[in-house]
Amino acid sequence: MGRAQGRRAARPVGSDSLLDLLRVTATEPRADTQLEALTLAVAADLPVLLWGEPGIGKTAALNQLADAVDLPLTTVIASVHEPSDFSGLPVVGDDPAVQGVPMAPPDWAVRLVRAGRGLLFLDELSTAPPAVQAALLRLVLERRIGALRLPAGVRIVAAANPRSSAADGWELSPPLANRFVHLQWTHDHDVVVRGLGGTWPRATLPRLAPERLPEAVAFARRAVCEFLVARPGLVHRLPQGENRRGGAWPSPRSWEATLRLIAFATAAGSSRDVLSLLVRGAVGDGPGLELLASLARMELPDPESLLADPAHAALPERGDLRQAALDAVVAAVRTRPERARWDAAWALLVRAMQTGAPDVVVVPATTLASLRREDWEVPAAVERLAGVVSLSRRADEAARRAARTVGSRR
Amino acid sequence: MTSDSPGALDLGKLFAARLHAARVRPYLATALFALRPVESREVPTMGVDRYWRCYVSPAFVDRTPVEELAAVWVHEVAHLLRDHHGRGDRVARERGLSGPAERLRINIAADCEINDDVYGDGLRCPEDAATPHRLGLLPDWLMEDYLRHFRLGPWVERLAWLDCGSGADGLERPWELGPDGAHGLSEQERDAVRFRVAEGIKGAPGDAPQGWRRWAEEVFHPPQPWRQLLGSALRSAASAPGVGDDYSYGRPSRRSAGLPKVVLPSLRHTPPRVCVVVDTSGSVSDAELGSALLEVTAICRTLGGRRDLVSVLSCDAAAQTVQPLCRTEGIDLVGGGGTDLRTGFARALRTRPDVVVVLTDGQTPWPEARPACRTVVGLFARTGSAYDENDAAYSPDTPPAWARVVTIGSASR
Repeated sequence: MGRAQGRRAARPVGSDSLLDLLRVTATEPRADTQLEALTLAVAADLPVLLWGEPGIGKTAALNQLADAVDLPLTTVIASVHEPSDFSGLPVVGDDPAVQGVPMAPPDWAVRLVRAGRGLLFLDELSTAPPAVQAALLRLVLERRIGALRLPAGVRIVAAANPRSSAADGWELSPPLANRFVHLQWTHDHDVVVRGLGGTWPRATLPRLAPERLPEAVAFARRAVCEFLVARPGLVHRLPQGENRRGGAWPSPRSWEATLRLIAFATAAGSSRDVLSLLVRGAVGDGPGLELLASLARMELPDPESLLADPAHAALPERGDLRQAALDAVVAAVRTRPERARWDAAWALLVRAMQTGAPDVVVVPATTLASLRREDWEVPAAVERLAGVVSLSRRADEAARRAARTVGSRR
Repeated sequence: MTSDSPGALDLGKLFAARLHAARVRPYLATALFALRPVESREVPTMGVDRYWRCYVSPAFVDRTPVEELAAVWVHEVAHLLRDHHGRGDRVARERGLSGPAERLRINIAADCEINDDVYGDGLRCPEDAATPHRLGLLPDWLMEDYLRHFRLGPWVERLAWLDCGSGADGLERPWELGPDGAHGLSEQERDAVRFRVAEGIKGAPGDAPQGWRRWAEEVFHPPQPWRQLLGSALRSAASAPGVGDDYSYGRPSRRSAGLPKVVLPSLRHTPPRVCVVVDTSGSVSDAELGSALLEVTAICRTLGGRRDLVSVLSCDAAAQTVQPLCRTEGIDLVGGGGTDLRTGFARALRTRPDVVVVLTDGQTPWPEARPACRTVVGLFARTGSAYDENDAAYSPDTPPAWARVVTIGSASR
């Protein structure tokens, strides 16, 4: 304040204290899925690309993240730099033929390397000309700026405006797009209104539980490998069509990133919403959703263990998952048809009927009945499925009635 | 009534109806089973919230036959699958619609989007359902389009079966459990269910009607406005190495003055030469040509600012003359009849362009080899598969892989 003594006359009296008052804001804890996803991806040392309209609070989120992970923030506006700022500025020495031409790094890179750690924020990536993007490719992938190598403690986050709002923007080239985890950054209306009222959210950041690390890695490897064995076509697929250009797409590199993200999200105990943002950001919506669906299947109870102890089986609550679990049980009986397994499956269906909606049991029950061998007697448990049979009959009647009304109308 | 106490929810009937619905619409079974019924005496009939809970009035279940209840199940689940709550919120924000009356209009428009093809085939249409037909509108539109074309009036009272809950229009109802209530689906779970349904429809497209197939194609890839796509395709074609804004060591940078001994590149602008080939065969309408051509010339202007670098060529079975765009009196598009774009390409390449923009409906042979310049194809949307009624085996070639294809006019919404 004392320094501004001489200039104070130029400003209205009291403007400093008014500005100070405006700066006073409080924070409150609030779950924030996208900030948690961003933090996890940064913790996993993967480059992140935030897509969002201008003025939406991407930079503010970065400041919050830098505070939270305790890394100094370096912001570089990619679109106002030249390619040589990222690939190094050629400096002609005394005898280039003997000594070569060194590529001098810019000052911010030197400072980052000297500090050994930091958060490098590349803003306005999509409005950078193609040559600058090409230079950034090396920075993002090899972490090299000229002759310097960014130390392991430096994390990279970039931001870009979506094509709809960047009127003069270039789209990201597929190789550059493939190196990033793409996160869509949106604003929450309630958060903004409450923040302008004086209270901004404070996200509680994920903590990795040390005892869960080996288990998390094993889980992530199994999830990705099982999925790619089943869907070999998704290992590498260049984006087709104009809609999906510049976004995430599946390749061995982005699958490796996915594996890492799953491990981090598992170790941090993050919600499926966070994992969904991360996985879809790494390999794209379609493959990401398929992987998540396969994860959900992995979490269904194992049909063999259900058959082993039907009396204490824990079936999923949700109707569609429950039907999937029962279908898996019936399929297991079909692959190895034995009398004891068939009976156990009936007991499971009875349990399912008693603990949830009966209509999900109908299809598995019909299929299971068709698996009967001639010498197998109908188990006593089937009588307790009478409710299912009458339900099925009611639906049949409705179908007949509906067919009649349609027929009479014609 | 089969339940023990009078007025209790007849779950047996409700589940029988869901089973019937899942049998006649197998591709929706996953979504139907993911819905969680909640008994509620405040909801007029049946309604859903955005967390996939389904509020059911016991009295409504009692008085409705099973096949009609099944139709209501499918109707409600369609609201959720088609994201009417999210789209309702968006459209209300964009067009400044506020208040319960506007939300009722959104609900009616959403009902119209669903009701035009959801009934029949084992589902009986409820007597008082809101259909485009009743509003005097055409079927196969989207909720956003219906919303522009009707007003509330006394006729609304006849649509008694209206309140589909916040799942249909985004407005929370007093009886709903909200985000923290029991058995809600998280956002990721909702996406997963919708994804599974969409994959099922795409896997066996024969089972589902046209409206559902269109939904399945677009649910996770909403179409973008073609103008922006065309613009960005053209921009990236025209700014690729060699042309457009890029760095060059050909001349020293202005920064060099401050940094002696450092060799810096400078930003050079090489305006691209663009040739627009317009398919003027009989199958392309004048309106299509006009709108697309306007768009392309506008984009070309922003690219180079030099109209003398943009030329236009009309092409049907034979290529016409190349006209520079700098003529003030406009461009003559001559043609009609069949198309052979190969002659158009050959003629366009003689002007040595950096980018060729082709506007066509795609019913043409394409050049065998990749031309020596970047190619952007603006493809006029055509529906249906039979192009030639005299030759069933005839199907036109699709645009080649080396061209960047933007479908024009399909995604203007």
